[in-house]
Amino acid sequence: MGYLITVKNVRKTYNIGSTKRFLAVDDLSFDVDKASCFGFLGPNGAGKTTMMKMIYSRLERDIEPASMINVFGFDPMKDPLKIKFASGVVPQEDNLDEEINVFQNLLIYSKFYGMHRRDAEKRIDELLDFMELSEKRKADVRALSGGMKRRLVMARALLHEPRLLILDEPTTGLDPQVRHTIWKKLRDLKEKGLTILLTTHYMDEAYQLCDNIIIMDKGKKIIEGSPKVLLKNNMERYVLELIKVEPSILLKLKIDNTIIREDNFHEPPHLYSNDFNALREVADNFDDGEHYLRQTNLEDLFMKLTGKSLNEFQ
Amino acid sequence: MSFNNLDYMPPSRIERLYSVWYRHFKVYTKNIFSNGFPPFMEPLIFLAGMGLGLGGYIAEVDNMSYIEYLGIGLPLSSAMFTAAFECTFGTFIRLEFSKTYDGMLTSPLSIEDLFIGEIIWAGTKGAFYSFAVLIVLLACDVIPVSVSVIFIPVIGFIVGVMFAPLSLIFMSFVKTINSLNFFITGLITPMFMFSGIIFPVTNLPKWIQYIIELFPLVHAVNLERALCSNNYSSRLIWDLLYCIIFTLIATYISIRRIRKRLMK
Repeated sequence: MGYLITVKNVRKTYNIGSTKRFLAVDDLSFDVDKASCFGFLGPNGAGKTTMMKMIYSRLERDIEPASMINVFGFDPMKDPLKIKFASGVVPQEDNLDEEINVFQNLLIYSKFYGMHRRDAEKRIDELLDFMELSEKRKADVRALSGGMKRRLVMARALLHEPRLLILDEPTTGLDPQVRHTIWKKLRDLKEKGLTILLTTHYMDEAYQLCDNIIIMDKGKKIIEGSPKVLLKNNMERYVLELIKVEPSILLKLKIDNTIIREDNFHEPPHLYSNDFNALREVADNFDDGEHYLRQTNLEDLFMKLTGKSLNEFQ
Repeated sequence: MSFNNLDYMPPSRIERLYSVWYRHFKVYTKNIFSNGFPPFMEPLIFLAGMGLGLGGYIAEVDNMSYIEYLGIGLPLSSAMFTAAFECTFGTFIRLEFSKTYDGMLTSPLSIEDLFIGEIIWAGTKGAFYSFAVLIVLLACDVIPVSVSVIFIPVIGFIVGVMFAPLSLIFMSFVKTINSLNFFITGLITPMFMFSGIIFPVTNLPKWIQYIIELFPLVHAVNLERALCSNNYSSRLIWDLLYCIIFTLIATYISIRRIRKRLMK
């Protein structure tokens, strides 16, 4: 009880040509609480978008007896329209109608949801206000900046007051200010009881927004939990990044391996510890420009779990 | 928090089809001048060139002047071309470049809603284009005024809904937009030439006539010529049945094809 979405043992195989197959999502299971924010993290090709598309019926999962998806009590393969009627989706690419203006873009979608003209107009004005786009009501979509287009797509997804908002990389390619605006809007919406599902490669975004996350790699779940708890249980608190430092130099320093963990994946080297002062002492051996001492984040966790940097895939 | 069933009641099929049609209508009429002008202009140019120019060398066709013979066919070729372009280039752009369908499919619309709505829209455009040509024909006194010509846009609609799914089927196989030219040049243009619009097909060798009988456009042209001459025969039942059955089968196949392409 209490879960808005339940996913059990879901797989998705893509056929590439007639002989090749690609397993995009591999035996994924998770639950999403009502009025929570749930995030999928992982590099490109991890299967995040595919998993979300199976939830809103855009793709069909592999048919297997043990596999199931339940969204508001419906199966996306049996009741796609009911699920889509109660969900709003912000796809990865902005797919607005460029030929018509901001207001008309929203009006057309209000018809897809069967809204009456008068209700739709009222709701559109509310949403344009909420998304800080009121001045752009009559503007051509072509004339909008990337951040405005993104907010317009979000407004479009919220037109019919959905129970579930699905966002595929909501802030990719946007400047830091717009990112913070969007984060604030999403927090406001969650406060009002909306359940949010999102994918991101930004670890800070997940940390800021999500109550629970799944870190995925190659279609598989690597770890699941609250970002704060995951970090606390799986990572040291601080990391020292040594920039422009040869790994061989570390051998000359006396590093206490009981307090400090050296990570072998990295070039340049990273040192992890819960003891800030221990890292500080090591850092003092180098110039200011050669090191960066900071708190660990989900990106470090991802690296520890997969043994590789996120950027290898981006 | 609990939701009652009413919260999950998506709009009815009719409302959904209408909303798709409305989307196309809004986008098309946004540039009413640049979109609405060509259907009036094209037949004028064609009639001037072919009818007045070429027609001077031809005495009579089917007991009427050549310009009248040619004029009667033009509303339907115009409807065919607009539906064919709409559901090849237009659909391909919405599918691959502007990702319009990806957006629409996030709302409570099914793939059937999307493409049946689109086929009905192509029919509407066919009706509008044939109506525009009809106005030109009547204004230039190319064809005689009669009550039955008001049904020409209806046949224009039929031509639109026949050629829309045919075009969608072809489009569903295409990976790059330039390949769509094969369809226009290889199928639509020959259909325009050999469907009894520019010359009667009854004088061609029998085996060619059998092939032409398979073309969708020729049946619509038969219906239209009967309307304009008020000369009806039982053969028209076959023509009408052909149009209906062709539309239904082509629509069924086109949606299957597009589903396969969209869901992978």
